[in-house]
Amino acid sequence: MNKLLITGGFIVMILAQWFIPGQMIYQQEQVLSEGTSYKFKTRPIDPNDPFRGKFIMLNYEMNKVKKPAEEVDYDQDVYVYITTDKDGFATATHASKTLRDTDQDYIVAKANGTYQDTLNFDLPFNIHYMDENKAYDAEVAVRIATREGILTNCYGLVYVKGDRAVLSDVFIDEVSIKDYVDTKE
Amino acid sequence: MNSKLRQEVSKLVEAQVISPQVADDIRNYYDSKNDTSPNRLFAIFGVLGSLLVGLGLILILAHNWDDFSRTTKTIWAFIPLVVGQFFVGYSLFKKKGVAWKETSATFLFFAIGASIALVSQIYNIPGSMPSFLLTWIVLVAPLIYLLKSQAAALLYVIFITAYACNVGYFNNDSPWWYLIMLLWIVPHYYKQLKKFPSENLTSIFHWILPASVLIALGAFVSGDDSIGFLMYVTLFGLFYNVGKLPFFADKKLRVNGYLVLGSLGTITTLLIVSFKWFWGEFNTSLVSSQDLIITGMLLAAGMTVLVYLFLKKELSPFNLFQYGFLIFTGIYFTRFISPEVPMILTNLLVFGLGIFAVRIGSSKGMFSILNYGLLIITVLVTCRFFDTQISFVIRGLLFVAIGAGFFGANYLMHKKQQKQNTSENE
Repeated sequence: MNKLLITGGFIVMILAQWFIPGQMIYQQEQVLSEGTSYKFKTRPIDPNDPFRGKFIMLNYEMNKVKKPAEEVDYDQDVYVYITTDKDGFATATHASKTLRDTDQDYIVAKANGTYQDTLNFDLPFNIHYMDENKAYDAEVAVRIATREGILTNCYGLVYVKGDRAVLSDVFIDEVSIKDYVDTKE
Repeated sequence: MNSKLRQEVSKLVEAQVISPQVADDIRNYYDSKNDTSPNRLFAIFGVLGSLLVGLGLILILAHNWDDFSRTTKTIWAFIPLVVGQFFVGYSLFKKKGVAWKETSATFLFFAIGASIALVSQIYNIPGSMPSFLLTWIVLVAPLIYLLKSQAAALLYVIFITAYACNVGYFNNDSPWWYLIMLLWIVPHYYKQLKKFPSENLTSIFHWILPASVLIALGAFVSGDDSIGFLMYVTLFGLFYNVGKLPFFADKKLRVNGYLVLGSLGTITTLLIVSFKWFWGEFNTSLVSSQDLIITGMLLAAGMTVLVYLFLKKELSPFNLFQYGFLIFTGIYFTRFISPEVPMILTNLLVFGLGIFAVRIGSSKGMFSILNYGLLIITVLVTCRFFDTQISFVIRGLLFVAIGAGFFGANYLMHKKQQKQNTSENE
């Protein structure tokens, strides 16, 4: 292989290796700084990933909406339009298979089956990575708080801009989940 | 050159067996040969070190240090990447030796994984495991050719196999990207075959590549599982015939992963389908067209290799193992007649293969192959005891007969070899 090809190949490789994580960061940062924030009521559970560490899986309360007129297949992308309810939490107003010409914010969710006139869906931002010592404790703390009825709100703070939604943090009673776990220890 | 050999050479000079000139030549020869071996050892330890450091980094980063700010964590995500890229660039442009290249390539391989993993973590990006692995693999793929790194190539094959398993077995999809990524390694493998046909590393590729395909094939089975068995028998037939190519003619059996995997795979799969329940529980309506196309392509590939071997006049003497996959394809379609027909024919095929292995073993004078053949027959008979109503006496007699066969065949071959040895000595 000649030297020019090796140098060119090396530069392209280096750039690609910077570009992919760089692009990931740029896209997320853009949503965090320019997007609108919504609170999604949720419950965390604690699984594991071999490379990326411990995370809590979030089960959102907002998981259904009135079925759109079009037929929606299982696992298909659907546009779920959201607004804020009187308590300050995100709520789904309607859904559609294609993007509508409106200023209302939306989430690209995965359809999870229909029942009568209801469409069930899964929100994409259901993973929140945590310190490995805190993920399980967080799940336990939330479970105990829920059982004792002292938990008034547990929500994911999500920034939404266009097609992208970034989960910035999870709050329990207005305290970030990582600090909440510390206070319970 | 080791000191013992050096002493021996000096003794030979003193005893005037060789001249001082010849002694110098011998010393120079071993010294020049030794030049490469410490380098290779450095490369191996370097790669192992990088592997451990890289994996360690991934684990350390996976702790999720939430005391740090997002910016600090993001900087940390790029530090291993920058270090890895620096060393790769340094070994590439300073034309460093194999040890440098292999070590830096291995480190960068894991640094990239750590970097993407950490960014996903920081921003809670929910991406699936297959898409994470795919991004990682694509970003490290150039290392194989830029640095000519064998470690990167081996890690690459392991990771694409893991990707295929993740997509096919855990997510019920077909890992089509696996095929494209497998193609990427082909020129590297071809170059190894041409330039270093007898190197140990090339032998590792003869094992790891068919093993990867073997593991990944199941990930493509989408419909009824029983066609998967036909698919696998065809793949093993293809492997066996690849192992019979002229390239492998002068190679040892332990180097020839294709032949060993092909033979063992054919026998194991056929033994599984030699049971009656397999043919009884078959539902043809569940076979997908994708499965049929893949089976057809494997069959075509196997036949192409057979035709090539025929043109090269490499097909004689007749070896049943080479045609096993074609015969089984025929047998497979007799299931439309009744479940008993393919069952009986499969049993006959396995028995025939066992006999053939015994024959190959005795003609080549290899005890291992001879006993392999006898073992095939023994396992076949043992399997039949589970689904047939034969009396204990007959079963007992059958075992005694096979046991006697083991003794007899080995004894006869031992005698034959002794006779040959004595006639050669005379």
